[in-house]
Amino acid sequence: MKQTDVAIIGGGINGGSTGLELAKNGLNVSIIDKNLICRGASGVNAGTLTMHMTRAQLIPYAKKGWELWMNTSEWLSKEIDVEKKNGLCLAFTENEEKLLIERSKIRNEYGADISIISKKEAQRIDPNINSSIKCAAFCEMDGYVSANQTGSAYSKALKENNVKILENYDVSEIDYDKNKYVIIFKNGEKLIASSLILATGVNLEKTLKLLQINIKIKCLPQQLIVSERMPTIMDTVITVANGKLSLKQFNNGTVLIGGGWPGVGNIEDNYTETKPENLIGNMMLACHAIPRLKSSRVARVWLGLEAETDDAMPIIGEIPNYENAYVIGSIHSGYTSGPYMGKLLAKKILGKNIDLSLFDIKRFL
Amino acid sequence: MINNKKYDVIVIGAGPSGVSSAVNCAKKGLKVLIVDLNSNSGGQIYRAPPKTYKSISKKLEENEIQKKLSEEIKKFKIETAYNHTVWQVSPGFKVNAFNETSTIQWQSKSLIIATGTYEKIIPFEGWTIPGVIGLAACTVILKAHHFIPSKKIILAGNGPLLMLVAYYVIKFGGKIDAIIDTSSKKDWIKSTFSLMTNPKNFRDGIKWVFKIFLNRIPVYSNSTIEKAFEVDEGINVKIRNLKTGKAKNIISETIAIGHGLIPSTDITRLLRAEHIYDEQKGGWIAKVDRFLRSSVNGVYLAGDGAGISGALAASDKGLLASWALLYDEKIISQKDFNQNTYKILKKLDKYEVFAKAISQLNFTPKKLIENIDNNTVICRCEDVTKSEILTAVDRGARDINQIKSWTRLGMGPCQGRTCQYAVSKIVAEYLNCEIDNLGYLTGRSPIRPVPLDKVLGDFDYEKITKVEAAPL
Ligand SMILES: Cc1cc2nc3c(=O)[nH]c(=O)nc-3n(C[C@H](O)[C@H](O)[C@H](O)COP(=O)(O)OP(=O)(O)OC[C@H]3O[C@@H](n4cnc5c(N)ncnc54)[C@H](O)[C@@H]3O)c2cc1C
Repeated sequence: MKQTDVAIIGGGINGGSTGLELAKNGLNVSIIDKNLICRGASGVNAGTLTMHMTRAQLIPYAKKGWELWMNTSEWLSKEIDVEKKNGLCLAFTENEEKLLIERSKIRNEYGADISIISKKEAQRIDPNINSSIKCAAFCEMDGYVSANQTGSAYSKALKENNVKILENYDVSEIDYDKNKYVIIFKNGEKLIASSLILATGVNLEKTLKLLQINIKIKCLPQQLIVSERMPTIMDTVITVANGKLSLKQFNNGTVLIGGGWPGVGNIEDNYTETKPENLIGNMMLACHAIPRLKSSRVARVWLGLEAETDDAMPIIGEIPNYENAYVIGSIHSGYTSGPYMGKLLAKKILGKNIDLSLFDIKRFL
Repeated sequence: MINNKKYDVIVIGAGPSGVSSAVNCAKKGLKVLIVDLNSNSGGQIYRAPPKTYKSISKKLEENEIQKKLSEEIKKFKIETAYNHTVWQVSPGFKVNAFNETSTIQWQSKSLIIATGTYEKIIPFEGWTIPGVIGLAACTVILKAHHFIPSKKIILAGNGPLLMLVAYYVIKFGGKIDAIIDTSSKKDWIKSTFSLMTNPKNFRDGIKWVFKIFLNRIPVYSNSTIEKAFEVDEGINVKIRNLKTGKAKNIISETIAIGHGLIPSTDITRLLRAEHIYDEQKGGWIAKVDRFLRSSVNGVYLAGDGAGISGALAASDKGLLASWALLYDEKIISQKDFNQNTYKILKKLDKYEVFAKAISQLNFTPKKLIENIDNNTVICRCEDVTKSEILTAVDRGARDINQIKSWTRLGMGPCQGRTCQYAVSKIVAEYLNCEIDNLGYLTGRSPIRPVPLDKVLGDFDYEKITKVEAAPL
């Protein structure tokens, strides 16, 4: 029977970041994924690193995550494209202007460096935005990652740090016996671990059940739209005061339209399907923000499943009634803060005094 | 924008198989819509010349057959939506398409997918330079437009298309500098008996070969284009004999190259139907039963979508799919169904012998894949080279979607239609595994790039249905 110090179930950004940090600190780590590493939300998300859409309470964590993303060569890999950009959040009506001022103020209180700027200033920062805006919120701490490269970058870094990656291993049972975890896979194989971390993203509800923990995790299927390559039509990350939009142009010329418009999907068979009417709403909003976008063609639409708890706040930390068992997931803007959240959890596991009470799973039990 | 007209059946693709299935359904009283991105029926094989070509004097046989298809459609009052590109099909079924001015959505109880094939090209160094076109694309230029891409041309690849294109190029006054065929003369002779099972096509074949012989076109068997690059005089083409290893350079003006055809699976992949890998039938194909029902209820495959069997079999396959649909919809009895399909199945068995022989002539030799230089671009939309693909594999990517994610291959406008076959071959060869193990590219909407202005039209900001933002 195989043995490991730490078994991490779920190889997304959260499992991967936690595992990487633990391995760097000398622990023997195995990451187990029922599919392939970073093929869940972490490999298909929009990769936007913005404060304008982050939940206020998570701003301090997103800021730390943003900083980590800006120097991936130090801790992850050189081979993942990350761009720093200015972020503009646009208000098109007077009501939206009020909303924007209000919301930016609250985010500022949590540490985001967001300022309200005039239409003129916004147009100076990015001349491509719709000239009918009332005002904008501006934040220098913005940018994006090419999320499709997550799997490639993480598997390289994890392997270099001697983390074992077990792909296509679906967990069917977890036995807890004499302070050891015996993980039994559908293929009959077993793995014994001293510590256990559950990081199965949208599947957390199911995985936690294996430890008789019952909490509700919603599955939000979200659509993303990408254009063909086109000449430079924008130079900022665009979000809007009202509704859902995240918009940016990659260096290769493609424009990614996202923001979290729902599609159809479920975890049972990992099925997803687009909702054409929501594609249209999302595209309209995008074209309204950057009018030149209308001359482009849509090349591809895809979906990803995002996890959300009842209060839309993360669950990170110890699993009650078990020794050395932890959970991490359901983090809003989770790609942005994932690397930092993983690091935090790893530090806690390594015995540092880290306060994760805000994310304690006990609030649902 | 959304029209929501309802039909009993929507047939996607107005080639011979689509038309025959549509006509059969219409005859039985079903409300049928036939959609095609071309401006008329006929599909790839009987492609109609543009309506403005009034002075084409010599009508080709293909053009005559096309006219008959049009007449049938009119006679049975089948609704048509030409110049409409389908970009999204969702369960239920909702079919979304766009034309020059706008987008439209139709609904139907059943779907017949008759979207045919597209061409297979095994990449070589220089295949993306101007002047290199597909062999099948070349037949379109010849049949619909009656002209040759350049006075001097090299034809390369394999299979009967080589001979057909050669025939038309000579007919329209072009000069063929060489035919470069990966198969051997022996392969051709071996397939003769099987090819004879289809006398009409066999006779055509003889006619083509005869013309090539009479015009003393140099034919290089067992050979491939290893490299092509632009020079002052045109394109310098390096030919390599795969058996002897001998190389030779020829200068020409264009290259038309193709290694057979690939069934189009965009829509069935989008609908998450089951697919299987069958090299002989053209690669990844939708899994169907004997009567061409896919694994998704209400979705039928006519023509080449579930395996290539060629033009003559196409209309019979269209009929077969439509009989299955009519039976499933309880419009015909079990007895009628059995009677009608019995003969077709027998006929199709015969065509299968022919199709198999053709597919053997389109066989992709291992050497052809091995010989691809590491710097050769494989995914031309995203400029992904063979070595980048192999690097991803070395890093542990094992599934074609994972390779896609890591390298961006297949993420461009063609969504991997052009490169999936070659990528699968390259990786399977490198890992020494079956292509089945690598899987196929997940179908993603839109199956053809959609112009945003057409989907959206003019709109007011206030009228956009908004989704509430995430909580603060
Ligand atoms: C479409 C979309 C767009 C998004 N855009 C952004 C954005 O722009 N910015 C941002 O910051 N965040 C964004 N997010 C959120 C972000 O992607 C997620 O918060 C984050 O990736 C979650 O990481 P994770 O590791 O928790 O989950 P995942 O990445 O989903 O990883 C979970 C892994 O667990 C595996 N697994 C599940 N069950 C089992 C089992 N039983 N056994 C073994 N393995 C199992 C899965 O296969 C998967 O690999 C977006 C999300 C989506 C869906």
